[in-house]
Amino acid sequence: MIRYLARRIGHGILMLFGVSILLFLLFQAAPGDFLSEVRLNSQISPETVAQLRTQYGLDQPLPVRYWQWVKSSARGEFGYSFAYNTPASTLLWPRARNTLLLSVPALMISWLIAVPLGVLVAGWKGRWADRLFSGGTSTLLALPDVLIALLALLIALKTGMFPVGGMTSVGAQSQGPWAWLLDLGWHMVLPVSALVVGSLTMILRHVRTSVGEVLESSYMRAAEGHGLPRYRLLFRYALPAAANPLISLFGLSVALLLSVSLLIEVVMSWPGIGPLLLEAILARDLFVVIGAVILATVFLIGGNLLADLLLYALDPRIRRQA
Amino acid sequence: MTSSDLGLSKTEPLLHISALSVEYDASGGELVRALRDVGLSALALLRLLPRNARVSSGSVEYRGRNLAEFSPSQLREMRGGEVALISQEPALALNPVLPLGRQLADVLLAHNRLDRVAVSVRCNEMLREVGFADSERIMRAYPHQLSGGQRQRVAIAQALICRPRLLIADEPLSALDAATQAEILELLLRLKQELGLAMVFITHNAGVLSTLVESIVVMRNGEVAARATMDELQSSADDYVQGLLSPQKSLMSAPRRSSSSDGARPLLEIHSLSKKFVQRRMLSRKKFVVQSLEGINLELREGSTVAVLGRSGSGKSTLARCVAGFEMPDSGEILTSGEKRGPRRMVQMIFQDAATSLNPGFTARQIITEPLEIARWKSGPERTSRALELMEEVGLDAAWSSRLAGEFSGGQRQRLALARALAAEPRLLVMDEALSGLDMPLQAQMVRLLMELQVRHGLTYLYISHDLNFISLFAQEVVVMEGGRIVERTTPAGLCKSEHPATRELVEASERLHAPGVEATA
Repeated sequence: MIRYLARRIGHGILMLFGVSILLFLLFQAAPGDFLSEVRLNSQISPETVAQLRTQYGLDQPLPVRYWQWVKSSARGEFGYSFAYNTPASTLLWPRARNTLLLSVPALMISWLIAVPLGVLVAGWKGRWADRLFSGGTSTLLALPDVLIALLALLIALKTGMFPVGGMTSVGAQSQGPWAWLLDLGWHMVLPVSALVVGSLTMILRHVRTSVGEVLESSYMRAAEGHGLPRYRLLFRYALPAAANPLISLFGLSVALLLSVSLLIEVVMSWPGIGPLLLEAILARDLFVVIGAVILATVFLIGGNLLADLLLYALDPRIRRQA
Repeated sequence: MTSSDLGLSKTEPLLHISALSVEYDASGGELVRALRDVGLSALALLRLLPRNARVSSGSVEYRGRNLAEFSPSQLREMRGGEVALISQEPALALNPVLPLGRQLADVLLAHNRLDRVAVSVRCNEMLREVGFADSERIMRAYPHQLSGGQRQRVAIAQALICRPRLLIADEPLSALDAATQAEILELLLRLKQELGLAMVFITHNAGVLSTLVESIVVMRNGEVAARATMDELQSSADDYVQGLLSPQKSLMSAPRRSSSSDGARPLLEIHSLSKKFVQRRMLSRKKFVVQSLEGINLELREGSTVAVLGRSGSGKSTLARCVAGFEMPDSGEILTSGEKRGPRRMVQMIFQDAATSLNPGFTARQIITEPLEIARWKSGPERTSRALELMEEVGLDAAWSSRLAGEFSGGQRQRLALARALAAEPRLLVMDEALSGLDMPLQAQMVRLLMELQVRHGLTYLYISHDLNFISLFAQEVVVMEGGRIVERTTPAGLCKSEHPATRELVEASERLHAPGVEATA
């Protein structure tokens, strides 16, 4: 088991190097860099631009620049933001924290609602409630996330119950930690709900399909033939047997924690990684983009590892093989 | 199904079925009014019908009360508590991700209020009753850690732990190999006597019934064809009943090759054939070698039938795959008509499971013409008429040629596979457990068909099987395999006199199950 973990983590580190090299090559191949736009400004002399180029190390060959970046990453800085004149990490960490503040509760709420509801709906298969449900989720699934976010904003504006955009109210921090937390929570309600509505339907449908398939199986019929109570059948017998594809899906949603809320953040002006990344890409702020992508990759590797460990823990058949 | 009583006491019938009809919704959506499948009737007895089937008329009464009137909680109490069910496939009757102890205890707890100690004591007791000495280990095990026979024992323990009055056993033996079948049958017999169980035993193998049941209901196309004791049935004149009871009788009149084929030249020669499989895990140096075939020598004469017998895992299938050219042997050689690489078409193979060896999206005509197209045989219309001929020859209605493979029944699909194999005009047919998926009367029909075809086309058969059904009527030579080696060569008549333990095991299991075809031909 420990050897397996070590091997997986080793693979993960190799993957990070691969992703970063690929990113450097891609940026190299793309035309222009951060200074291209500076050069268009007639008030800045070519000498200043050349000086900046040397200062940022953009005149060095690619391998040297990559090595510099690796060294700076080892120090925990992940390179240097041209636009903000600070190490990329000081930009990325607080933004990543803000994004997780949205996506983690949204993920938890979606799964906590979707699993029990999906199991129940699977048990109703063929009845009117199931048809109503299918129609409802299809409609929700067809709604783009942006539309959901805009609808939420509209509700906030019309009712005035929720703050429109932003993360905290002005001066909330001065009223003590509890008031600040409450204010933060109040600001989180809309973006988190928009995220939950966006992801809930997909998870629900997976739970329903997966449990529904298990309910058709002969061992469920046998268990029913032994007179087991209905809810025990659904939750203690069908759900664990249907869990494997759901665990993989859960791993995937952990992997997407940093990127799932990009759109919502931009629309609702939440100071997460989304708006930062958008700006950085437009400005060709190389190291901020690379840092954000590397962070997303770390989550991808972690999410998949988590799913595999959960599978190992929950499925006796896999436990035997590993 | 017309009215019938099942039960022990003379005064009060435990179960009363009257004029029961079950409608079964076939794939297309039209309702076929029939008990298409006897298994459905077992499920109807517990109101456990799948969603596409429903009871259209008639009733099932349990102790005088119509099952349709039971409330969900009454039904739940009856299921498992009073009437228990054992289903066909033991591998599929247990939840794969829960420990067996939990699954057993849950059945007990669904019908009784007991504390943990009492539950554990009762479960261990029950497991010992069905023949597990190490009940503690079984309680902690998962289904995939047990063999098929062990799983069927656990399923029986689950069914009987609440001491039901009636046990419905739906083909409890057909998914097991012959030796295991005999063990489970003995267990059921013992428990039936010890617990005073009433039992509905559904099977296609009439041989097992004589020791087990008092009265037999014969069903045909969803209707009751006969109702009698075993002795009465044996003297019945009905062809259908006779076909079920002693399918081998229909083979007595089958044509067979007149003379012994001693003079014929060998069609297939196998010289010191060996094959091993190496399993290697990625990033691991450990190797796992399975010696599947070791020094096999075999000779098939033109027009003869050689049966290869052995338990699961004895290397029979690997031999078949090597002969058919799906596997390359590590050493040794296979000669067809004396040539090292005879034409592929000469050897054709028929697989165990026709359901998976035929593309379900192809029509019967497409399936049969495919080998002809590959061989660029004549033109399209001629290929089609050849396909229709072949369908008639294997006993399929040519009018079905545009049906999809999935719409044929199990026996018909195996005929379709046979027609496909014949299309290539082979001289050797390799049949890898080609009949084991079929019930006895169907097996008998297939064997008869194979014998007719052999005479008509001078075919040679390599027949591979784990049981001895019809061997004596069908094969001239028998080869017994164990652990990748041929351990005995004999004639069907010589099987019963054999001393080798592997052979004895096969023969004894078949005798206990009264399987037809073991007895020597006159």
